[in-house]
Amino acid sequence: MDELPIPADAISAELEDLVFAGLPATRRSFLRAAGFGVGVAAVAGCSRAPVQKAIPHLTPPESIVPGRAYAIASTCAGCSAACGVLATCRDGRPVKLEGNPEHPLSRGGLCAVGQAELLSLYDSQRLDGARDREGGIGWDQADQLVVAELARIRADGGRVRLLTGTVHSPSTRAVIGRLLASLPDAAHVQYDAASTSAILDAHARSHGQRILPRYFFEQAQVVASFDADFLGTWISPVEHAAGWRQARDPEAEPPRMSTVVQFEGRLSLTGTRADRRVRIAPWETEPALARLVERLGVLAGGRAPSASAGRAETATLEEVDAVAGLLWQHRGAALVVAGAADGVAQDLVNRANVLLGAYGRTLDVERPSLQKRGDERALEQLRQELAAGAVDLLLVAGCNPVYELPDSEDLLAGLSATAMVIACSPSLDETAAAAHLVLPEPHSLESWGDAEPVAGFCTLQQPTAPPLRSARTLRATLARWMGDARGDRELLQAHWESELFARQDAIGSPAAFFAAALSRGFAELAPQPVPGAEAAAPAPAGSAFVAPADLVLVLHPQIAIPDGRHAHNPWLQELPDPVSKVAWDNCASVSPATARELGLRAGDVVRLNAGERAIELPAWVQTGQHDRVVAVALGYGRAGTDRFADVGPEWLQARATVESGGTIGENAAPLVARTAAGRVFAGAAVTVEKTGRRVELACSQDHHTLEVPAHLAPKGGEVRDPARELAFAAWQADPEHALHRGHHAPGEGELWAADHENDGPRWGLAVDLAACTGCSACVIACQAENNVPVVGKDEVRRHREMHWLRIDRYFEGAEGEERVHHQPMMCQHCDHAPCETVCPVLATVHSASGLNQQVYNRCVGTRYCANNCPYKVRRFNWFDYAHDDALENLALNPDVTVRSRGVMEKCSMCVQRIQEARSEARRRGEKVEDGAIRTACQQSCPTQAIVFGDHADPAGRMARLAASHRAYGVLDELGVAPSVRYLAGMNNDPLAPARAGHAETGGGHG
Amino acid sequence: MAEGRTTGAFVLVTLAFGSITLVATADIRLPGNHRGYAPEQPIAFSHRQHAGELKIDCQYCHYAASKSPNAGIPPTGLCMNCHAHVSAGFDAVLEEREAAEAEGRDPRRIVSPEIAKLYAALGLDDDLDPVPGAEPRPVEWIRVHDLADFVYFDHRPHMATGVACQTCHGPVQGMERIRQETALSMGWCLDCHRKSPAFRPGEPLPDLTAPLRYRHHVSTDCATCHF
Repeated sequence: MDELPIPADAISAELEDLVFAGLPATRRSFLRAAGFGVGVAAVAGCSRAPVQKAIPHLTPPESIVPGRAYAIASTCAGCSAACGVLATCRDGRPVKLEGNPEHPLSRGGLCAVGQAELLSLYDSQRLDGARDREGGIGWDQADQLVVAELARIRADGGRVRLLTGTVHSPSTRAVIGRLLASLPDAAHVQYDAASTSAILDAHARSHGQRILPRYFFEQAQVVASFDADFLGTWISPVEHAAGWRQARDPEAEPPRMSTVVQFEGRLSLTGTRADRRVRIAPWETEPALARLVERLGVLAGGRAPSASAGRAETATLEEVDAVAGLLWQHRGAALVVAGAADGVAQDLVNRANVLLGAYGRTLDVERPSLQKRGDERALEQLRQELAAGAVDLLLVAGCNPVYELPDSEDLLAGLSATAMVIACSPSLDETAAAAHLVLPEPHSLESWGDAEPVAGFCTLQQPTAPPLRSARTLRATLARWMGDARGDRELLQAHWESELFARQDAIGSPAAFFAAALSRGFAELAPQPVPGAEAAAPAPAGSAFVAPADLVLVLHPQIAIPDGRHAHNPWLQELPDPVSKVAWDNCASVSPATARELGLRAGDVVRLNAGERAIELPAWVQTGQHDRVVAVALGYGRAGTDRFADVGPEWLQARATVESGGTIGENAAPLVARTAAGRVFAGAAVTVEKTGRRVELACSQDHHTLEVPAHLAPKGGEVRDPARELAFAAWQADPEHALHRGHHAPGEGELWAADHENDGPRWGLAVDLAACTGCSACVIACQAENNVPVVGKDEVRRHREMHWLRIDRYFEGAEGEERVHHQPMMCQHCDHAPCETVCPVLATVHSASGLNQQVYNRCVGTRYCANNCPYKVRRFNWFDYAHDDALENLALNPDVTVRSRGVMEKCSMCVQRIQEARSEARRRGEKVEDGAIRTACQQSCPTQAIVFGDHADPAGRMARLAASHRAYGVLDELGVAPSVRYLAGMNNDPLAPARAGHAETGGGHG
Repeated sequence: MAEGRTTGAFVLVTLAFGSITLVATADIRLPGNHRGYAPEQPIAFSHRQHAGELKIDCQYCHYAASKSPNAGIPPTGLCMNCHAHVSAGFDAVLEEREAAEAEGRDPRRIVSPEIAKLYAALGLDDDLDPVPGAEPRPVEWIRVHDLADFVYFDHRPHMATGVACQTCHGPVQGMERIRQETALSMGWCLDCHRKSPAFRPGEPLPDLTAPLRYRHHVSTDCATCHF
């Protein structure tokens, strides 16, 4: 570069030079002239490049209108809860998954994992066709191998074992039953990565049936939960969250508000939303439950309390006494749940629930849950058989034992001692890599299936796209080995029309019954009688870890990655954990006091030694955690996750998300303790050693903060309280003033005079913080709907995550006593939007219906708007984010522009959905009905915390909520008149000393 | 210096006149404006004949226009609703009939070369029997009316308010080969939107005699088309 920069005011002089001086021109003037030439050429041209083709159908598919989306009712297979989904499809492929509002379990919600199942359909690393250890073989060849082996076993005898996750598909169970019956010594062993086996065993003892009750949180006025994360990851979180929400509606008449008391060692999502949270160490669970049962016994007029077990802290026992009183007061509408894998504890839970009259009210054993059927004892027995080399054929399906189970070396040795190991797995996972044959299973969105998640309730899963890979379901595979060559649909339909049809009498013909189930997505039937416990109920096993230790391990599933199956999903990897806000990693989480004691900072790599096992993980400091607990998330460290090495943009300073050959996070499964009764996830003693290394975690906790720097704060505005919470009692006593005592009234002070007219709708959102659990389903729903790119760990560390909707997390109160608030934060569509005034090119402007519009094709990327946004919700495209995986691109929503480098973007309030609803209403000549438009975040929310609507329609649901005495705008004091109104959270803790009004929010921003 | 100024003024004046002449005589358009684009199509389909002469309703073929954002290109099978029976122009059929009469034989089936392409696409021979080994493939038309990817145009509200197809697509009923008649540029859209009063379903009509103000004309919000 040998020319001098030309000052702006010298342009005319330069032009003069250009015109008069003639050649030789400088480089710049040459380019200018050349540019003019190109412009002229373009003006004169009249052909178009590239030529676009318009290829119609040959014959149009029935009921599909070109250009319109259609929905297919199906069942989510993201976990074993079997929530109902409606797959929004375009041109023969799904582009978005939504909850099915008619589904009686999930009631319209769909969690983050369920939403992200869409992306895993388009995973380019799924296996294509059967393979053996050398590589691909034909399906026929694979079948011949297995059929020959089965024939040999039938003739000569031999052991066949099926190892699966919970199989809740009635048609698959029927086929498995047929196969087992045809073999001399065959058994089906099920286990769940996150086991609830102890609950089933406890019911075998107390009720004579090995069942998992169905929990009705909607019926529970008081819930005492011992380490059961029922809003986050336990059994069926969407169903539980919907129930929990139903029991907590301050806007209902009369207001409903249940109380949840959470006893736990780590800080779970349920713990963050509990009305009262008691930190206990894992070894205290059993004595605390014993004390609870004793107290309830006394209250029920039973025997006097015996000397309580001595291992629990006195404070814990006092809490338990108080909670027992509260539970007793609400007996019949009270519920005790525990997540512990501890037989004695689960026995105590059952006794407490019997004393409280909970059976038949808040939990049901007549129509039990079939969502988890894992049997840890059977698994342990299988391991022994495998170790002894006593199994001739092992079929593994729907699980990944080599990754998920501890002592995987022993297991691998057992597998190599087995004559034939067959893995039915969609990808080449750890177990499939050790198998002789891999028969890939299709994705749930491209195959037929069914589920009976609750006895008497069956849901159907149907393909939403043609098969993208050559794969076969377990059902079809097993049927074929028995000489039944029917396809999946035929097998399924036959089972429904023969077996399931007979269990109902509402519909007269089998074909009509199946058709109705297809259209609704589910069918309600008479429950099948649950067989009594086959063997004698196992004796309860006490906790393996009863002695207090200096530090104990708590291994838990994470919200975003509940088990290793989802570790290959970039949406879920980039979803910050709602509690720690760390993405792309699992950590060894310790309390602040323990961190101080050990001299740890977040990011220090530590070595965790539990028994003979050790793993190295970055430390994380988590307030609210018990001081003796080290919490580690399971589900990380999956083989092959180094595929995300270059997930982010390529540039000079880019750092890989993961080293080549490495993994995202570390697998903590080796640290799980094994006992005769199965795996134990909490309580093992652990030591923490510093390694001296440090890593920088991708934590979004302090990104996009709404806090104001002390030196910039206006007088009186130093402390902002974006997330507010009210005590239920105070609110009931004085609903009108409970919120606004000591606060600016809403709308007080407008930044500018009203300068634009608005006589049509004024769209807005109402977000009820009393309902929000922080589960982050909305974040992924928004990502899927709005083509939000994944940026990778390094970019997240640079505060460049692209999520349009984030969940802010706030701690309030003293260390260890914190209340936690979750606050979904998206563009507030301010009426006096500060972003709009600073845009030099009018790329962000206000619409007549109150939307703050971002116009990508106008934006030049000055980023002034993001600077001026008080809510920090604007996201800048620093790069062209990767869209070179053609298969993955099929997940893009064709109704939303894929943004390019250099433009700003942000929540549009799903304007594409608004436009669709308006066009449809216009076509029918109707008005847009209240509730006809649902944003992606609203649709997915299991607790209906987000409501979209029109501020100008006072009868609409959103406007009524926005008029609640709980409603406020975040940073209302700025006078920007946000269109998003928040309803203050609600805390119903009858055991707390009465608080005056609501507490001020302080502490760290999330 | 003064001489330089005179020369400069002369150059500028020449440039100005040149530009005016150019604008007046040539079809000057901005890049991206494809007005007049009329590529050769794989089958020489005549809108003049179908829509003009035969007066087939636009929505018979572009049936999604009133119920979808996209009007849609008719599925190839739809052509066969008529062309299973009509295989050539009337003149050709008449000529053959006369020739056959003169020669005292049965008239042969006449298939025009363009309709033969349609049959070929569907994997059929001239007698509409499947050609062995031929796979039916839809006709790959060349797209004429194509908006930029960041524009989301929706036919439904336009159809519902009675905007004629010709308003945007021009006199299609007179086009032998389909041609982009209008600019389809944002300014062109806005021209119409600014001039058209807003009808809101269920609400009284606005005062059409009053000058249109922002809130009384059809939406010109960016997010109406860009999202």
